[in-house]
Amino acid sequence: MEIGLNHYLVLATILFGIGLYGVMRRKNLLMLFFATEILLNSVNIGFAAISHYYADLTGQMFAFFVIAIAASEVAVGLGLLIVWYKRHNSIDLDEMSVMRG
Amino acid sequence: MLDHILSILIFFPAVAGMLGFVVKPEGIRAYGITVAVVEFALSLVLWLGYDPSVSGMQFMETLPLVPSFGINYIVGVDGISLFIIILAAFFTMIGIASLPETKNEKNMIVTLLFLQMTMVGVFAALDAIAFYVFWELSLVPMLYIIGAWGGPLRIYASVKFFLYTFAGSLVMLVGMLFMAYFYYQVTGKWSFSLLDWYRLVLPESYQIWLFLAFFLGFAIKVPMFPFHTWLPYAHGQAPTIGSVILAAILLKMGTYAFIRFSLPLFPDASVFFMVPIAFLAIIMIIYTAMVAYAQEDIKQVVAYSSISHMGVIILGTFALNVEGISGSIFLMIGHGVVSGALFLLVGVIYERRHTKLMSEFGGLADVMPRYALIFGIMLMASVGLPLTINFVGEFLSFLGFYQQSHILTLVAGTAIIVGAIYMLAAFKKAFFGKVTKKENENLPDLNKRELLALIPLAIITVWLGVYPKPVLGPINSSVESVVELMHEKAQNPEYKKKIADVKAIKLARAAEVKEAK
Amino acid sequence: MEKYLYIALFAPLVSSLFSALFTAQKKKQFVGVIASLLIFTAFASSTVLLVHILNGGEPIHVTLMTWMATGGLNIPFGFVVDEVSVVMMMVVTLVSTVVHIYSNGYMDHDKSFNRFFAWLSAFVFSMMVLVMSDNYAGLFIGWEGVGLCSWGLIGFWYNKESATWAANEAFIMNRIADLGMLIGLFLVYWNTGTLQYEEAFAAFPGLDHATLVWIGIFLFIGAMGKSAQFPLHTWLADAMEGPTPVSALIHAATMVTAGVYLVIRSHPLYDLIPNVGLFIASLGAFVAIFAASMALVNRDMKRIIAYSTLSQLGYMFAAAGLGAYWVALFHLMAHAFFKALLFLGAGNVMHAMHDELDPFKMGALKEKMKWTWIMMTIASFALAGVFPLAGFYSKDAILEVGFVEHHYIIYTVLLVTAGLTAFYSFRLVALIFHGEDRYTLFGIHPHEAYKFMLWAMSPLLILAIIAGAFQHTFFELVEEALNAVHYHIHSHVTLWIMIIGTQAFVLASIFYAYKKYARKGIKVPDGTSETEQSFLYKLLYNQYYIPYFYDEYFVKPYRELSSIFWKKVDLKVVDATVDGIAKVLYSTGSATRGMQSGNLSTMLRWMVVGLVVLLMIAVAVGLAARYSAELSQFLAGLGV
Repeated sequence: MEIGLNHYLVLATILFGIGLYGVMRRKNLLMLFFATEILLNSVNIGFAAISHYYADLTGQMFAFFVIAIAASEVAVGLGLLIVWYKRHNSIDLDEMSVMRG
Repeated sequence: MLDHILSILIFFPAVAGMLGFVVKPEGIRAYGITVAVVEFALSLVLWLGYDPSVSGMQFMETLPLVPSFGINYIVGVDGISLFIIILAAFFTMIGIASLPETKNEKNMIVTLLFLQMTMVGVFAALDAIAFYVFWELSLVPMLYIIGAWGGPLRIYASVKFFLYTFAGSLVMLVGMLFMAYFYYQVTGKWSFSLLDWYRLVLPESYQIWLFLAFFLGFAIKVPMFPFHTWLPYAHGQAPTIGSVILAAILLKMGTYAFIRFSLPLFPDASVFFMVPIAFLAIIMIIYTAMVAYAQEDIKQVVAYSSISHMGVIILGTFALNVEGISGSIFLMIGHGVVSGALFLLVGVIYERRHTKLMSEFGGLADVMPRYALIFGIMLMASVGLPLTINFVGEFLSFLGFYQQSHILTLVAGTAIIVGAIYMLAAFKKAFFGKVTKKENENLPDLNKRELLALIPLAIITVWLGVYPKPVLGPINSSVESVVELMHEKAQNPEYKKKIADVKAIKLARAAEVKEAK
Repeated sequence: MEKYLYIALFAPLVSSLFSALFTAQKKKQFVGVIASLLIFTAFASSTVLLVHILNGGEPIHVTLMTWMATGGLNIPFGFVVDEVSVVMMMVVTLVSTVVHIYSNGYMDHDKSFNRFFAWLSAFVFSMMVLVMSDNYAGLFIGWEGVGLCSWGLIGFWYNKESATWAANEAFIMNRIADLGMLIGLFLVYWNTGTLQYEEAFAAFPGLDHATLVWIGIFLFIGAMGKSAQFPLHTWLADAMEGPTPVSALIHAATMVTAGVYLVIRSHPLYDLIPNVGLFIASLGAFVAIFAASMALVNRDMKRIIAYSTLSQLGYMFAAAGLGAYWVALFHLMAHAFFKALLFLGAGNVMHAMHDELDPFKMGALKEKMKWTWIMMTIASFALAGVFPLAGFYSKDAILEVGFVEHHYIIYTVLLVTAGLTAFYSFRLVALIFHGEDRYTLFGIHPHEAYKFMLWAMSPLLILAIIAGAFQHTFFELVEEALNAVHYHIHSHVTLWIMIIGTQAFVLASIFYAYKKYARKGIKVPDGTSETEQSFLYKLLYNQYYIPYFYDEYFVKPYRELSSIFWKKVDLKVVDATVDGIAKVLYSTGSATRGMQSGNLSTMLRWMVVGLVVLLMIAVAVGLAARYSAELSQFLAGLGV
């Protein structure tokens, strides 16, 4: 069986769903970051696959951008996370509710 | 100085108000009075410099703000706005002079001066955006006055006042933006200048929608039935000075805006909506007069009476002839003077007894004869007795509307009956009869400070009732040009007939004079 | 001559303002004196003007300044002294001079002496404006001005609940009529373009009949209020709460005749619409007998005189409505003299009886109050129309008008009324002055009024006797101005039968009244006698239950409706709607603030929800665009 565009897209969708589920359900900030990474990378797969399908490099370029941004995001995010952990000794999301409406 | 007098009139109180923050608390009252007197003197200079033979705008000033979108600071006065500006300056002066001892006196006076800027600004602005800015800004000091110095329900009342009027004017803003957009479509240029807009002839369907958008903003401000319920709360909770300014000046913004915007911009729609608006006006007149009769609190009587009289102003405005519109503008001034004075008078008794319930009084004519006398004069003016200021306006308003509809005028004319009923009943309850309450037996009569505020008002009430010409003359010539503009712009021939043809009337009059010679 | 006009007009104003300066102070005798002098000055000036007009002088016309001018409207303060207004000026200034002087004595012990003169002079000023104005708007100024002064004077003793109530009733009732008057003015203005009498009268013949009828009706509605014609008559009897000099001046001699004056002044209009005129005359005749019937049984001295005033106003309207304007004006004048005299006499009695008003509690006062008795008797004779007093000439002329114009029903009604008038007038005189004294039971010691009060009344007494002699002069004076014609009954026999018959009828009524009420053994009625139990007596005594009807069906419902409007409609509907809208917004806010828990994971979940919703919308819109043609076909099939 030839592995075509659809398979990639299905993979991307599944990964996206996993990521989305993680984003919604996880209470640990670190796990949230993982889930976000999965989300971003699922999109990256989509970009790369479609880029290959259309033989257009724009999509792959976008994927690189996303990787770069994801990396910097994780760097900043992890930094904040460590600071938060040092202060509060916990990274549970339910306890971070200073901005309550 | 005359070239920039309007800008000075607008911004002098605001600047002086800012400086007021550094004045020592003991001196703030004197400072406030001085500023208000200077401002009033300036407004008189404006009157002196005003050329009554010119019907158009005078003392125009233009300063580009956002030229690419045609937003400019344009101010000017004509006979319609001139006297309301003077009235605003006058009432701020009277208000500050008669201010009783309050907490945070400094804040109050600075707020009043700021309020004065916005009031003069509204009546002088000839650019829709500038108008809108002043219009909305005027809510802020009033909100503060009611909210900070008001009665027990002050927060509810002030928030209601603010949100209600604000919601209405947002719709008006949309209308303004559309007008500018339409102007852009037609001419290729953006403009928010009223004088530019006057030249536009809009299709009838557009006029109707725009009229409604503006109407909502103005009607809430007036306040027209059924948008009036914020007013009794605002008056009921506001301190005396707040009620005075609110009744005397702020309400006039709505009726003034009808004449400044709705009539000349949308002549066809004005005729189209004449009858429905007349119905609303009649409901305002009779219904609120009856509600006023049912009140137990004397301040609420005056508050509802104020709505009832505004109905007559609306009716005069939509007479769409010179008599009616001149009458309605004159009545704005008359109503300002009279209802302002009545609120001051109610404040006098409130200050002494800390109650406004009529059942608490009775027989005051024995205890406070001077107070009863001035109240009586204002009462008679409010009832619209000839040779008082209100009669001129009411007479002309009804006279004007009679041309449009006989039956409706007859129904609306019951204003003079129902008005007498609630006013006389209230006067009887408070002033006549025997002194029944012990607390009332030794109430002091009006003191010098109160007399200082009230006597000028009484004099104006009678003076302009006997000799309205100095005011009515300039109003007349400006109104003539408005009506002429409407008549020219109206497209629907059916509607055109309903708007008085000033040119033809003038020609006929000239021919008559010639014949007489 | 113009200066006399100004003096006549403004002397009362000066008097009023001068007195007003002292309102808050204790009684100052000089206030009353100066006010009386100033009013006398006005009277003297009016006399000069009358002489001027009598000698064939031109009417004097002045324009002070513009009052209102806007659009096509131009109303000046214009005043005119012509044949009609000069008669009114004489009546007004003469009676008010008398009343001013009289009041110095009558209000002697009142703490608001100064205020009384301020109001009274203000009234005279308003009345002068009313009669002298050369346009309808000026008339309206005076019209409302007298209304205001009437309010202030009826409610003069404002500590009394009944007085202030009556004051408000009078004001509001007049306002109802004033609305009619205003509409009349609007009609005049929009149809003729002016409110000046001369120009408007010149334009009236060119208008169509229906318009003229409406103008006539609305102006007459105004007149009905001021002159207290049915159904707006109830205020006049209640107005007797005011001090008696006020009743004499305002509610007998001058203000209430303003309506008659309006009709007379607008005679070029009413000449064109005889059908409205006939209505006025019929209403007048009806009011004449209607009011007289109420006076028959009433037990309040002042109210009896008030009903008689009402009845006489009916006579005036009957004459004016039939086109006999000069007769109406003549009766107005004669009536002013004898009715003011009657009221002032009643004032003396009231003073003597310590404000007791029930004539059944008096009796035999003629010994104590000889001059008052003489004056009131003569005034009553004049009122009854006994030869050769003033009332004979004026009232007889009205009867003749009815006869000559072939309105026999009106004639008969007025004739019967004349008999009733004689009866109730002398019922009053007999009860007060004759019979045996019943007042001692109540511990009252009556005394005659001050000398100068009696002297002040004497001009009225003389005029009540001799005014009839001036009928011819009067006719010549107003002949041209009012298109006056003599009403001659062609057959001398008929004429004499009529005159003698009327006189006999009147005298018989007087005799009957004396016989019934001057006898000994009259008891103060206590509501148990057979007469008092009869339906007719009750009906008349309760004024045909009209005040009750008004109270029950107008005043109370109005009050209740007002209360409903406030408490139910305004607070529960209109305001509740506004607050309801605000509440919906507010509760939406409260309900949704749960979203903003500050919890990152909740927010993320909401973010996902938003994303899904947006995606669905995008898909739906995309599909709709893709299949728009099919969709529109489908919708068309549904009839959308």
